[in-house]
Amino acid sequence: MRHLLAVAASLAVLASAACSAPAPPRSAGASPTPTGPAVLPAPTGAHQVGTTVLHLKDTSRPDPWDLDADARELKVTLWYPTEQRDGERAPYMTARESELFLKGSRIAGVPYDTLSETRTHAVRDAEPAGRKLPLVVLSPGFTKPLSTLTSLAEDLASRGYVVAGIDHTHESHVTTLTGGRVAECLACDSDTDPGFGAEVVQGRAADVSFVLDRLPAQWDGARLIDRSRIAMAGQSIGGASAVAAMVRDPRVRAGIDLDGTTYARIPKTGLSRPFLFIGSPQHVPGGRDTTWERDWKLLTGWKRWIVMTGADHQSFTDLPVLTDAFGMKAAGDALPAARASELTRTYVAAFLDQHLKGRRQPVLDGPSSRHPEAEHCAPGGEDCA
Amino acid sequence: MTAVRAAAAGVVLLLATACTAPEPPRGQAGTPGGTVCARPRNAPEPEKATTIDVVEQAYFCILGNYYGGATMDARSLLIAGFAALTRELDREGRDLPGATMPALTGDRKADWAAFETVYRRIVAQIPDLGDRPAVVTLEAMVASLGDNHARWAHDVKRHPDHYDGDGYGLGLAASVHDAQVNGEPGTARPPLFVTAVEGGAARAAGLRPGDVIESINGSVPFHDGKATAVIAALYPRYPQARPVRLRLLRQSTGRRWSVTLRPGLYQRDLTTLRAVRSELLDGDVAYVRLRGFSSDAANRVFTAVSRLRAGRTLSGVVLDLRGNGGGSPVEAIRLVSAFAHGKVTGHLCTVRGVCEAMRTDDTVELIGLPLVVLTDRGCASACEHFTSAIKDLGAGRLVGTRTAGVISGPAQPYLLADNTLLSFPARHHLGPDREVIDRIGVPPDHHVPPTPEDAADGRDPALAKALTLLRK
Repeated sequence: MRHLLAVAASLAVLASAACSAPAPPRSAGASPTPTGPAVLPAPTGAHQVGTTVLHLKDTSRPDPWDLDADARELKVTLWYPTEQRDGERAPYMTARESELFLKGSRIAGVPYDTLSETRTHAVRDAEPAGRKLPLVVLSPGFTKPLSTLTSLAEDLASRGYVVAGIDHTHESHVTTLTGGRVAECLACDSDTDPGFGAEVVQGRAADVSFVLDRLPAQWDGARLIDRSRIAMAGQSIGGASAVAAMVRDPRVRAGIDLDGTTYARIPKTGLSRPFLFIGSPQHVPGGRDTTWERDWKLLTGWKRWIVMTGADHQSFTDLPVLTDAFGMKAAGDALPAARASELTRTYVAAFLDQHLKGRRQPVLDGPSSRHPEAEHCAPGGEDCA
Repeated sequence: MTAVRAAAAGVVLLLATACTAPEPPRGQAGTPGGTVCARPRNAPEPEKATTIDVVEQAYFCILGNYYGGATMDARSLLIAGFAALTRELDREGRDLPGATMPALTGDRKADWAAFETVYRRIVAQIPDLGDRPAVVTLEAMVASLGDNHARWAHDVKRHPDHYDGDGYGLGLAASVHDAQVNGEPGTARPPLFVTAVEGGAARAAGLRPGDVIESINGSVPFHDGKATAVIAALYPRYPQARPVRLRLLRQSTGRRWSVTLRPGLYQRDLTTLRAVRSELLDGDVAYVRLRGFSSDAANRVFTAVSRLRAGRTLSGVVLDLRGNGGGSPVEAIRLVSAFAHGKVTGHLCTVRGVCEAMRTDDTVELIGLPLVVLTDRGCASACEHFTSAIKDLGAGRLVGTRTAGVISGPAQPYLLADNTLLSFPARHHLGPDREVIDRIGVPPDHHVPPTPEDAADGRDPALAKALTLLRK
């Protein structure tokens, strides 16, 4: 019976996450006129950005979701500094990916291929440039293709990071594998099971270790990476996976969780590497989700807990920018899309600059007049958000 | 409060809480009828103190919406509530000369007003008891319905160090199910023995399946063959943490010993927690274990069967529903529909006897293979909807023990003003032949009870029987 109680409880978690999801489950019909293809915010760093895609295959373990697959296939998208200014911009998604993602997310009222027209800034397959670059692993939310973190990825690359984003196969509505094969969301079938979140983050941590292992052999640009400076960030269960990856793999020196309820078991001896929680107001201390407070006690190194006033669960992804372009208006006092993107980029980059580049960032030390939305929280401390 | 109720209510609630509109319209306390309490539209806000106004809201919510609400004598609710209130006063050493039941007339509104007046007078003299008086009153009112799908969920706490998938308790499961102990303890039969060691204190103490539990905290689990209340101590819930002392007998060695198990959080094997697990048995039987009727349960069973069917001819399907605490009736109907078309799976009936037939979903493809269903006393609610339909429709055979008999009717949740959820059925469930299943259960076609010897040796005679039946 405990199992069923747990089912109910985990359903509740998923339901509440779903409730805070974008604005989408509505059709764009009655909304303001669409503004045409979405344009991602321009990267803010000094460098031009290149991007390329790798397909990796881990034959040491079976796929956790496809019982008929005896190897785990992964699609990895890299963003990195380049000196190349011109060239074809990388597509945001294919038409097929757009369709499956929109259908899976139950977004109607826009042409199904519409996300494939989203304008990006990275030059496809450009030659990487730089030396001793720090590496950031990115992991998206459940059911979301990695593309939904493109704006953050491009910005980090423009600031001198190599970004390795992972599409965790079968945990997204769509992942295109080698030969154009399309993997759909097999994990979606079991997302109400007790222990589901724990299973996902364990699997993702294994994905991350595998990608770190194989990157040097699989990508020429990997020679530019300083492998002593690796961090991970993710949204939702991707953020929860950052905790899991750090517990599993000491190569991941620092982590960021963007509004994700956490699932990984941190050893009782604690985790001493730097960690940053950034959440929507659902993640204030004392709120419904108690997992950050549980983990906070076990984070023994540098740590911050920042709540963004007006943010929702998707504010840390590209979705506000995309839905704006559909003409869907964000509900209530939500952060405008451009501002949400700016805040996410600012705080993620500040954390990485401080911990991977050794540059102190005052914005992490307390309230900032230029970023009044960012409230510094701590369990048991002053009320925030 | 039974866990089955909790689980069933939880699942139903979640089906109902799919994100729709924002703020739930809040009923006005004191307005009788269907508008006094509304379905929750979002995950509820943090709970607030329970007050007499919340009790009033629940009283009229029950009268306006509960299965028996229209015909019941509302005085029974007030008397049950008042009795609990006076017991609480006495327990706290605070009994009062004026704590006497007011005269009731049978007029629901007037009786409430009389009850509330006395209640307020009493509670004004014991402010230090906080919301305890209101809590015990409301709990007793709900319990007085005697309905295993009526539940008031309040003050549900989770261990702060809990991780997704963790269990809480002694770390064992026994031959008398948690659901049975809390729901229908009269259905338990001796001997009491360990059926599974999941982790925690039970694992640390070296318990094994098949170990017979001879006493719990010094008391025998059965008196003259009848279950005693002490069995409930096997299934503590957070924050209960008092250690439990067991005297055990391992029949294989004759060893008798005692252990003291401290309830706590324990890690469970994630692979065992998946709602659907499947494997090929004997080369041509699809074995599928379904732990609950969660959303997508039926489709997941179908996917599992097709996968095992690919490239081979199957001789049958064994569906293992032991310990399946129920969930969505929609999923139960879909699953029946893979084994029968054009049939009635059950009925939902009002207290006045107006019934609606639930019919198979004939868009579901028939599996077209012989079916054996494994059942036990842990198969409750939607699980019994499924098994009663399979049995009545002749769509498969049941092996194991009788089901739980915990299927009064599908519960609907209502949000109360203190942000707690009150849930109960508006209609009661009857089987395809309009037979009552609640409190009676569904008897198997082949009775194969679990024994400590089989548990100790890792044998599963019910499954063996199922495979034999499919060979015939």
